[in-house]
Amino acid sequence: MPENSQNAAERWVDGLEKRLNANWAAIRKARVDTNLNRARLRKAFYGRIAPDTSLVVFGSIAREEMTSRSDGDWILFIDGQALPEHVDQEQAIAEELEKQGFPKPGKSGVFGRMIGSHNIVHEIGGEDDTNSNTTRRILLLLESLPIGNSEAYERVRRQILSRYLRDDRGLLKASGSIKVPRFLLNDLTRYWRTITVDFVYKQRAEAGLKWALRNAKLRMSRKLVFASGLLRCFFCQLDNDAASAREALSAPMHDVSKLLMYLEDQLRQTPLDLLARAASRPNIDKTTARKLFDSYDQFLAILDDQAKRTELENLREHDMAKSSVWEDIRSLSRDFHLGLIELFFGQDEEIRSLSMEYAVF
Amino acid sequence: MRRIGFSTGAVAKGDFRRGLDALRQKHVTVVELSALRLIELEPLIRALPDLDLSSFEFVSVHAPSHLAYIDEAFVTNSLSVAIKLGIPVVVHPDVIFEENAWRWMGRLLLIENMDKRKAIGRTAQDLEVLFNKLPESGFCFDIGHARQVDPTMTEARSILQAFSGRLAQVHISEVNTNSRHDPLSIYAISAFRAVADLIPEGVPVVLETIIDEGQSDIQTEIQRAQSALQFTHAVLPSEPGVPAPRQG
Repeated sequence: MPENSQNAAERWVDGLEKRLNANWAAIRKARVDTNLNRARLRKAFYGRIAPDTSLVVFGSIAREEMTSRSDGDWILFIDGQALPEHVDQEQAIAEELEKQGFPKPGKSGVFGRMIGSHNIVHEIGGEDDTNSNTTRRILLLLESLPIGNSEAYERVRRQILSRYLRDDRGLLKASGSIKVPRFLLNDLTRYWRTITVDFVYKQRAEAGLKWALRNAKLRMSRKLVFASGLLRCFFCQLDNDAASAREALSAPMHDVSKLLMYLEDQLRQTPLDLLARAASRPNIDKTTARKLFDSYDQFLAILDDQAKRTELENLREHDMAKSSVWEDIRSLSRDFHLGLIELFFGQDEEIRSLSMEYAVF
Repeated sequence: MRRIGFSTGAVAKGDFRRGLDALRQKHVTVVELSALRLIELEPLIRALPDLDLSSFEFVSVHAPSHLAYIDEAFVTNSLSVAIKLGIPVVVHPDVIFEENAWRWMGRLLLIENMDKRKAIGRTAQDLEVLFNKLPESGFCFDIGHARQVDPTMTEARSILQAFSGRLAQVHISEVNTNSRHDPLSIYAISAFRAVADLIPEGVPVVLETIIDEGQSDIQTEIQRAQSALQFTHAVLPSEPGVPAPRQG
């Protein structure tokens, strides 16, 4: 998501909130907080990002969902010659982010380091597409934000999209009129399933530490990112603005460039905006939209409440039954889940049919 | 068959006469007279009125690629000799300091898209700004620059679709990470085919692959360029802004 995404003319979340006469204060506050933090980072790194590199941050800052103690995952992305000074840049970034109050990235080694572009672009699938590589690639598409010089970031993201589209023989060669990028969609789905499995792995490996907070995020923000990924693929078929892009895929040209640019536009929208756009379709019940956004708003409010967040962070399995915060998370995540089921498999015939065709088998 | 020729600077750096001789010997009919370095401009312009270019169907001049602001008037005055002879002038947008100094060249001014070292003129969006400022000018599409900026060739297609009516010349070469113009590899040839359908067959193509130290040869590079641009059935458009090839 580019730095100016918050300035997009049409904010689907705002429109939906108004139409439903809702009050999603936590979502609005998170957006304001995010923009303040983005501005702070842009200022801190102004002129400090070398050519052919991009500082890319991930997670809530890219989704416009920053709360009181949001994570600080980042990579120094390199798309060019290896230079000795890259390591200096890497260290300078780590120091500056710490100075700016961003927590250190986790110990897994996925983030908080320099990463070259080649594996991310070339290793899609197969043994060399490691868990870390998949994570970086998918998050680069779905919830990332370049700070400062964005050229390397944009160049590589375009190459990744190009691979997903050009290598998708079904998309280019199939005679049917349905044009959903299945290769991309399958990889997004694979990533979602991977993090759900890794959740259990981490639960075992870390003896239940931070289980509750991690589970809350899995039920809400991780699931939102996956749902928005599915919607980005479905909108390639559903959106009238993508009509010429779909036509260009056909013989004799099999031209993917227009669909690629359409997807780039889609990726500039936050997951919440994508979800709001889908929830604003005429056949979607207001109750479904309320389920989705009321629950997500409450989730962000909990994360932004220092005491509640701390309780979630420290909660151990044997204390869960006594935790009202955990009970709230369970309740609102059920609503969010039901809202997604209704959105994808309910009232909207077109979305339901695409979900049946692409999202399950 | 496309009309494909060479830049004199690629064949014989700093020596346009030797470059022209080499191209004549190989019966090449498209040439760009290179004055990429400022010191090359004056001798070229002085010689231009009397230069025998009769064997070439298309001739253009490449303006210096690095200029100080104080040299701009000297350069545009010098280039007026070429313009008066009906020879198009290819210019990098980052040496245009004052649009008024160039605007009078009209359709014979060909603005070139840039490589990734440059801050402007790299994308369709960048170029639109330039063409809004110089609405009469034509376009020299550098396919190697476009690939360096975006290896997926998506931006190249956007550029060609946006400015097809202005397209008057194509530069072709493999632009490496140091922005040097190398001979065409099979990978560049394959990438360039992705936009060949958007380049009308009549548009002259100028190779900028540097071969003056034996890296490749004229015939080989022309064959490679033909191969890179072979998937096209379009014809030269008649839209305004496309300079007619210079006859004799």
